[in-house]
Amino acid sequence: MEYKLRKAEPKDVSDILRLVKELAKYEAMEHQVALTEKELLEDGFGDTPLYHCILAEVQGEQSGEDPKVIGFAMYYFTYDPWSGKQLHLEDFFVMEEYRGHGIGSEILKQLSDLAMKTRCHGMQFIVAEDNEPSISFYKRRGAEDLSTAEGWRLFRFTENSLYKMAASTEE
Amino acid sequence: MNFKIRAAKKDDSKDISRLIMELAVYEKMPDRVMISYKELERDGFSSNPFFQCLVAEVPEENKSKEGHTIVGYALYFYTYSTWKGPSVFLEDLYVMPDFRGQGIGKSLMSKVAQVGKEKQCVRLQLLMRDWNTPSLDFYVAKGAQDLTASEGWHFLRFDGEALDKLANEASID
Repeated sequence: MEYKLRKAEPKDVSDILRLVKELAKYEAMEHQVALTEKELLEDGFGDTPLYHCILAEVQGEQSGEDPKVIGFAMYYFTYDPWSGKQLHLEDFFVMEEYRGHGIGSEILKQLSDLAMKTRCHGMQFIVAEDNEPSISFYKRRGAEDLSTAEGWRLFRFTENSLYKMAASTEE
Repeated sequence: MNFKIRAAKKDDSKDISRLIMELAVYEKMPDRVMISYKELERDGFSSNPFFQCLVAEVPEENKSKEGHTIVGYALYFYTYSTWKGPSVFLEDLYVMPDFRGQGIGKSLMSKVAQVGKEKQCVRLQLLMRDWNTPSLDFYVAKGAQDLTASEGWHFLRFDGEALDKLANEASID
């Protein structure tokens, strides 16, 4: 199948949001997506982008039709005080009907190329333990499950708790 | 005991590096620390820093046995949730054992939360080892939820050699 990988542009925010929602649906968490196209635009294409995005595009089915965005990877850079810069893969998704053609593999390869070029020492991500297809996909390529191997657990403070801590005064 | 929480400066890098190593020892992984204060200087104090850092400082008269006045730190950065937007990730939080129990950890947390709030972050996340009960209790008491337990999230990584290999190989599927 012919496809193209390219950097996302401001005009792509509606496709990005569509795929974010499809991925959330796959994770049975569609109701959790609160982000809007406007926020994606401000956050990703302003002076200080908070995220970066690669898109996978296929040609329209009929001539004259616009290309269709059928996959994406959203990432940003984080820091491990033990080894340095890391590339954090936040979202990674190819629409079901376009899987099995190596598109996901190629996206991951481009991301790892980019990680190496930008002096990252690792590429990391969070995945749900019942997401077997994804976990196998990553492990086949050499990823290590640090939750299993080293007991790392992800904790979260949601808005209320966060703001409560922000308001508490020093003892 | 008096203490002050302030933004770290480039000059603090040696102290931060010292405390990073102490935390790694506590995590039982000292041999995993590959970077020195030089990398911290380069990565945290340029025009485009990859992390932010707060330090806890005590006055000269309360310095540690070895003569240090920087006795704790919090290292964090901004991440992005495609569901909710900007978030804070607390990578490291550590206070030297002799200076615990005085509210320094709590103040560091509050300050990180304050900064997060100012930047309109909607959540703060962190990773913790499952055996680290003192820390688990500290965070849970402040409202943190264990998402690995409740939602089964696992942390995966491609490291060094595996990343290299992935970058060099053609697709496997």
